[in-house]
Amino acid sequence: MPKIVIDGKTVEAQDGLTVLKAAAAAGVDIPHFCYHPAFVPEGSCRLCLVEITGSAKLELSCSTVVREGMIVSTQSPGVQEARKSVLEFLLAEHPLDCPICDKAGECKLQDYYRDYGLTESAFSEFKEKREKKVRIGEKLLLDRERCILCTRCVRFLGDIARTEELGVFERGIHTEISTYEGEPVASAYSGNLVDLCPVGAITDLEFRFKTRPWFLTRGESICPLCSRGCNIFVDYQRGMARVPKSAKVLRIRPRVNPDVNGHWICDYGRYGYMIMQRDNRSENVTRKSGLGLRPEWDDVDVFLAGELRRLKTKAGSKSLAVILTPWLTNEELFLVKKIFIEDLGASRIYFAGSPAAQGDGILLTSERAPNNRGALEMGLAARPFALEALAEEPGMLWIFGPDVGESFSTEAFRPAAAAFLLKIVVSSRLGALTELADIVLPSATAAEKSGSFTNTNGRIQKFAAVGRSCGAARPASDILLGIARALHLNDPYYDRLTDVESIFEAMAGSIPFFGKRS
Amino acid sequence: MTTPTKNLTAHFELDHLFKIRVFMDHGGYQALKKVLAEGTSAQVLEAVKKANLRGRGGAGFPAGLKWGFVPKSTDKPKYLCVNADEGEPGTFKDRYIINHNPHLLIEGIVICSFAVGIHAAYVYIRGEYEAVARRLEGAIEEATANGFLGKNILGSGFDLELRVHRGAGSYICGEETALLESLEGKRGNPRLKPPFPAFVGLFGCPTVINNIETLANVPSIIDHGPDWFLAQGRPNDGGTRIFGVSGAVNKPGIYELPVGTSLREIIETHGGGIKDGKKLKAVIPGGMSSPILRADEIDLRMDCDSVTAAGSMIGSGAVIVIDDATPILDVLKKVAKFYAHESCGQCTPCRLGTSWMNKIVQRLAAGDGRKTDLDDLLRLASNIKGRTLCPMGDAASMPVLSIIQKFRKELDETVKN
Repeated sequence: MPKIVIDGKTVEAQDGLTVLKAAAAAGVDIPHFCYHPAFVPEGSCRLCLVEITGSAKLELSCSTVVREGMIVSTQSPGVQEARKSVLEFLLAEHPLDCPICDKAGECKLQDYYRDYGLTESAFSEFKEKREKKVRIGEKLLLDRERCILCTRCVRFLGDIARTEELGVFERGIHTEISTYEGEPVASAYSGNLVDLCPVGAITDLEFRFKTRPWFLTRGESICPLCSRGCNIFVDYQRGMARVPKSAKVLRIRPRVNPDVNGHWICDYGRYGYMIMQRDNRSENVTRKSGLGLRPEWDDVDVFLAGELRRLKTKAGSKSLAVILTPWLTNEELFLVKKIFIEDLGASRIYFAGSPAAQGDGILLTSERAPNNRGALEMGLAARPFALEALAEEPGMLWIFGPDVGESFSTEAFRPAAAAFLLKIVVSSRLGALTELADIVLPSATAAEKSGSFTNTNGRIQKFAAVGRSCGAARPASDILLGIARALHLNDPYYDRLTDVESIFEAMAGSIPFFGKRS
Repeated sequence: MTTPTKNLTAHFELDHLFKIRVFMDHGGYQALKKVLAEGTSAQVLEAVKKANLRGRGGAGFPAGLKWGFVPKSTDKPKYLCVNADEGEPGTFKDRYIINHNPHLLIEGIVICSFAVGIHAAYVYIRGEYEAVARRLEGAIEEATANGFLGKNILGSGFDLELRVHRGAGSYICGEETALLESLEGKRGNPRLKPPFPAFVGLFGCPTVINNIETLANVPSIIDHGPDWFLAQGRPNDGGTRIFGVSGAVNKPGIYELPVGTSLREIIETHGGGIKDGKKLKAVIPGGMSSPILRADEIDLRMDCDSVTAAGSMIGSGAVIVIDDATPILDVLKKVAKFYAHESCGQCTPCRLGTSWMNKIVQRLAAGDGRKTDLDDLLRLASNIKGRTLCPMGDAASMPVLSIIQKFRKELDETVKN
């Protein structure tokens, strides 16, 4: 652990760290463009130059390793001048695009100019004219005037995605980033290039011109589109107070977690989740006419409680069938277990797993749902769902999630389900399943609820609701607790479950797998 | 002083010195035979160190020291890359060596490889030297056929394979790490140092990179001994070197002279003085990247350290002579255009800075100058110097700085008009 001095402060740095990393650990930020923690140091932007006593020239902090007794200055006049000059050089050929550039507000060039530059513009020659809307990928635009040639995009596709779809061409002031022979970037991780680009050179067509970053609120969640459980940021615009629409999600971005997804997320999750969050939402309680109840939560709770009580006494527990989905959180699955299996004595609990798919060997897994593992540890995954099971004894059918329809064709499902007297579908999306339901209970998406998922490696990841639910939608946990309370199943027990945390504690207390992580 | 012996250009008057028979008839490959028969690697290393052979490509780094950096024991193969890119404007000496005396170069290559434990060597030659490359390949064939290259050289058990690789028109590929990148089939972008090529070089393996002329001196050191070689030159800088004189002189050409010969002697005696009755205005002593000298600064010993002490660089020994009929702006124009054109584009100061400087200079030369131009150029050049990924930043900035500083009055006049 070498002792070094940074800006007069003595710190003990970890052995083998670069000056930049050691400084960051000590709370000293050194500006940089080409450096990125996921890549080997590049040393081309020259912005991270610092003064090291004993060296005649300024040294790169991104690639110089700390040595015992090293004295570093990140604020000396020489360093300040060097930083100013790098920024000045970049800005000399940089277009004045801020008013129309998506990156404004989260642009490193803007931020560093504000913090370290503030020089008068001295460039009064003719600026290089370059292409500004090069379609390098299905959702990617490259603006070559804005590009500062940090080559992060090239290195990402080379080192991480391993597709090498971008390269550096020409030399000198004509150097440019390009695809090879017109082949667009098709990597399943292309969306990360937009996050990586420090300026607005690579932008996302999905996000282009939609909003400004300062109008967005950022929330933390977990991507539910596969069982990796990548940590994400959900960027949204809050809904209006009196208009019952959910927060408008405009962008999903990766959140760093070295143990799960590193710095990245895949395009399947990035774009797929945004679409799922936004489109085709089930917002209202609906019921088929003739059922004699108003489509309000209170009415529905009382009605369903009544029906369940009738079933229990008259037809017995065999006439209640429940189809579960791996899109339910650990807490929701636990409530299903407690309410349906233990308290209502239902034995026909089925688990519709996620449709068969291929993992990509990087982040995306073959299980395209967030909580297969949670259901497994809960003991609920043992009974896979097969259409024939429905024929046994039709009574009341509960279906959680819209995804069951992905495992079977609606044509096959319709007659099997038709036999049931009462079909309740709990879903966040409208679709074929909600069409054939007698009652639709709108549920919240992962971002709109609190809870936890268990990822493919058995890691339990807790998350809190980012935005308000859409319309009248509620988290499935609330829906289930509403039924339990209307049924007065076990008031002392369910009354204590006031929030998701208390459900987790109850779960951890009774199932060892969830207990040992606490 | 005794008549200097020519180490490199002796017998250059012979038409077929490049043929192995002629080369050997005049004492060629004796040094290699001696080394393989009775010498050890350690002895050769010692000799080259003692001779104070400094690199002839431009940096002047002691060759023996560089060879010594290569780890003695490593499980990686070691490589030798011979830098024949000869990109420094004004430089043409290596072309003569390869064309007229390729076997001397080959002999030096084999001795160096033997000393360091290298079994694969590449000559990276600039793409434009097509005929020169062919001449070298012919010599390699001859040498191999006669047992001086290939497997079990002269029955010693030492193997060396030598290949010629042609470049593709990039000045920066003369920079040693960019040369390695190009040889590996990648973009000719210089690498960060450290690590140095002696540890992580070609294909990530320990590598020696030397200029053509540097290696061509090695047989002389073995033939006559390091003391003799050192005595030819200066205490810190032994031997002779080839000065390539060009520009406004009566006798442009290559001149092999002892290290430390006066610049005045090179220009006036050997170069024959300024032609067409003009007067000397300025000299660029070591290729275009070296700071310019005024006419009153030519009483200078041409050895690495003396020229550095005088504020310039001996570089590649390319002496570019400028007469008083040449506007200094013409020189500045060529300088600015060259570096902007040759910048690899990797790092910010060089990529943007050389282009910006060039835009100002070209505008100046077109008659549209502004009062602030010269100070702007000085500022830009200072912001490039010392802050780039490779030495080309210094190469691009120091000529601009020295030309403006030393010829400020003339340039001010030009701007005013």
